[in-house]
Amino acid sequence: MQFVSFGFLIMLPIVALINFFIPRKYRYIWLLVVSALFYLSLDMKAAAVMAGTVVVTYFAALLMEKVSGGADEKRTKTAAVILALAIVIEVAAMLVFRSGKILGAIGISFYMLKSIGYLVDVYRGDDIAEHNPLMLALFVSFFPQVLSGPIERSGNMMPQFAYPVTVDFDRFRDGFLQCLWGYFLKLVIADRLAIFVNSVYQAPESAQGTIVAIATVLYSFEIYCDFAGYSAIAIGVARILGIDVMKNFDSPYMAKSIAEFWRRWHISLSGWLKDYIYIPLGGNRKGTVRKYINVLIVFAISGIWHGSALTFLVWGLLHAVYQILGFVTQPLRDKVVETLKIDRNGLSHRTMKTIFTFLLVNLAWVFFRASSLEQALLIIKKSFEFTPWVLSDETLFKFGLSHGSFNIGIAGIVLLIIMDVLNFNGVEMRERIIKQSIWYRWIIMIGAILAILIFGIWGAGYNASSFIYQQF
Amino acid sequence: MKIKISSILKTIAFLAALCVCVFATTIVLRSKDSDFKYGDFFDKADQIDVLFIGSSHVINAINPAVLYGEYGITSYNMGGHGSIMQATYWELKEALQYCNPKCVVVDTFMLQKNYKYLDEMDESYSDEERASSISQLHLNMDCWPLNELKVEAINDLIKDDEVKKQFLADFYVYHNRWEELDKNDYKALWGTQDRNELFGAEMRYGMELTPGIYPNPDDENGLGGDTIGEEYLRKVIEECQSRGIDVIVTFLTCSATTDDKRAIDSAEIICNDYGVEFVNMQDLGVVDLYTDLNDTGHMNALGSIKATKYIGEILAESGDLTDHRGDDAYADWQRKTDAFHNDIYEMAVHSDSIYQQLNYLSEGKVSSIIYINDGSQAFGDNQFQRLIHNYTVTPKIYHTDGPYILINDVASGNIYEASGSETLDGVSTSLGTVHYQPVEHLFRLFYTDEDPENNLLYDDSRFEYDIQIITYDSESGEILSHNYYKSYGSNYTKG
Repeated sequence: MQFVSFGFLIMLPIVALINFFIPRKYRYIWLLVVSALFYLSLDMKAAAVMAGTVVVTYFAALLMEKVSGGADEKRTKTAAVILALAIVIEVAAMLVFRSGKILGAIGISFYMLKSIGYLVDVYRGDDIAEHNPLMLALFVSFFPQVLSGPIERSGNMMPQFAYPVTVDFDRFRDGFLQCLWGYFLKLVIADRLAIFVNSVYQAPESAQGTIVAIATVLYSFEIYCDFAGYSAIAIGVARILGIDVMKNFDSPYMAKSIAEFWRRWHISLSGWLKDYIYIPLGGNRKGTVRKYINVLIVFAISGIWHGSALTFLVWGLLHAVYQILGFVTQPLRDKVVETLKIDRNGLSHRTMKTIFTFLLVNLAWVFFRASSLEQALLIIKKSFEFTPWVLSDETLFKFGLSHGSFNIGIAGIVLLIIMDVLNFNGVEMRERIIKQSIWYRWIIMIGAILAILIFGIWGAGYNASSFIYQQF
Repeated sequence: MKIKISSILKTIAFLAALCVCVFATTIVLRSKDSDFKYGDFFDKADQIDVLFIGSSHVINAINPAVLYGEYGITSYNMGGHGSIMQATYWELKEALQYCNPKCVVVDTFMLQKNYKYLDEMDESYSDEERASSISQLHLNMDCWPLNELKVEAINDLIKDDEVKKQFLADFYVYHNRWEELDKNDYKALWGTQDRNELFGAEMRYGMELTPGIYPNPDDENGLGGDTIGEEYLRKVIEECQSRGIDVIVTFLTCSATTDDKRAIDSAEIICNDYGVEFVNMQDLGVVDLYTDLNDTGHMNALGSIKATKYIGEILAESGDLTDHRGDDAYADWQRKTDAFHNDIYEMAVHSDSIYQQLNYLSEGKVSSIIYINDGSQAFGDNQFQRLIHNYTVTPKIYHTDGPYILINDVASGNIYEASGSETLDGVSTSLGTVHYQPVEHLFRLFYTDEDPENNLLYDDSRFEYDIQIITYDSESGEILSHNYYKSYGSNYTKG
């Protein structure tokens, strides 16, 4: 059962309604039952891998506390060995199973990071070991997050599972609006753009240069809408169930530097890599060269986490190089700005930085999307072939999208940009909508539902592609 | 856990408003094909005495408007494009929920199809053909409301669960029709969308000039008796017999292949088993393969008129069916019958195709004068000659190089011909008393005593056209159209 399925849309209100009536202290059991059924409906074999992860995580955490003499005691070397062993087992399991060839592995990269984060937190004493196995199982398998995150921390989730908040009408409405936005991003924009992008990337050598460049830009929006859409649905669903999940995207394409991009893109993963890899490696505390090496390591791991192919490693390393170049050229760039008397806070300068950052990110996405390094290089080369007539000679509409459908995709991107600009400037649209009179609210909500139903890519004739991030 | 009553009420009101909007959206977006075809069926279900079921052969070959016009028998054409026998069976089951016909006429074209599921077919079919098979089933199925029977039908016809969804909830497939919406789609909101005016039939007005003739099978054993098609034909017969409904099995004329002829043999064997009448129109000569087919597989409107009249005669002779003509409750049947005959009349008078015009003129609704100048290439066109020969039993058209004239005066029922140097002198027609006399290659006289100055078959500006067709009203003699054609082999251009 996927988020984009009739079954899920039937299941959710029933789950929410029962959840509403169950006494708060028992709700975690209900959520665990639902999570287990949700995951089993996806893949029975994968559930075995998840169950193994829960068992290893649960006992490793308890053992670490036990050999250290208690939750508040300093961790012993034996605890360190247990932690290392558990991490090795879980990382090995992730690398072995994530291809899905041996046992199913849906969402394995996400719940493994959650589990490892939890173990490290327990080892550090930032969190105590969970003694209730059901609670830990829920943390690992919580169904809104299990497929594609956000990669939450136990410190945020466990207390909420133990004492969930009351689901009032406002919270329900807020979660509902968030889900709607997520479905809009996924079905109306991402899956529509995917038709064009897939068509071009299938045979880039036969497409004209400007078409390839357009496909590459559209892929940047496709992957954003796909992943941010999933996250919005996950956060919205959790909110309806009384659980607050961390924000995963924060107008990433508004970033003015690569470093800022990573503070806004897949925030839960970036935070995880920073807290559990970058900082333990020394972060920026051990000199400039070491800092650069740490950045390279973190982004190399990020690349490998996203996929086994070399293209993902290159994608990760490219982002690392961007950042290192950013650090290295900082004095020079400052000098240029000073000499030319450019207003750093001026709109034009900020816009130029945003556009430049977007182009760098866009270039890196080519490696992320391409099937091989050779194809990625071909796509980059083709993108520089100047064939603007494709915009007016109907060629643009020969890649799976009709005039109307292409225009809907563009309109969706424009709406996304407007929403991101507003969000970037601190305007929370959901709050604004909820504050409107009932008529405006209803018009917006019903309009959004109809837009998703009518313009969404779903149903017969087109199998809504799986969320891109579920493969990781 | 506090729930405010106002919140519950607001939620209910919101859901109600949402349902109304979504429902309206589904009405606008859904394909109107099925509703178009079966709209009248639901309205007239209690008046229908005969159901015609089968494939697109039936859709094009049986015209309930003609049946009503000729015999006063009320019927509905339930044929479906691409409907193989199992789809036809379920179509019948669905229809019998709403009406109680006295007779069911089932056509057996495609009886030889031996695959169970329409979305699977067999390995000889391409993905495009599978997709086409699925979309054609929508025409048959979309109009029926979702109920236990429909679920049973879809489970029997479709294998893939994903494909089943689009039949059980058609918004699943039609939600992306937004780019095709036209005025008619919005009219559906008020129930005023277009409807089939021929009680489910569709008329085609082309003409197949080269129908194929295929050898007969080596034996008369048919398909062997255990194909899926045969199984479902038995089910159709058993279903009707169990309900006390008369059954007639047909094979409507087409350019039948050897496989089709095996299917005919099988249908006959099954009919004998059940004691059911089998009408093999292929052997009866009712429909002319060379003038009455739209394409190799489907009849044109003229063929349909002939086929319907023939079937109507059989139905009328059974004596069980009431002639509803003149009954006010059936006024709409008469109105639509008249409208169809008007269409044929228009086709005979104003068609842009000479073949089409000659064909529909032979229906005898309108009087005509056909003139072909000497040396015209039409005299070497067998199809053209055949169409002229339809008017008259004389072989004159086959033995002349022109000039040639034919007057078909419907009011008097007389047909006059002249060829070569022959003249027509003082012929009485609705136009008046007519005189015809060939003078030279580009000039001839054709006038009436009432208007001797008006030479109807000569026009200075159109002397190069070698064929002229004049139509005139059979009652008043008013000239309705005067068409000029130029022949190039078997191609004709209209002037």
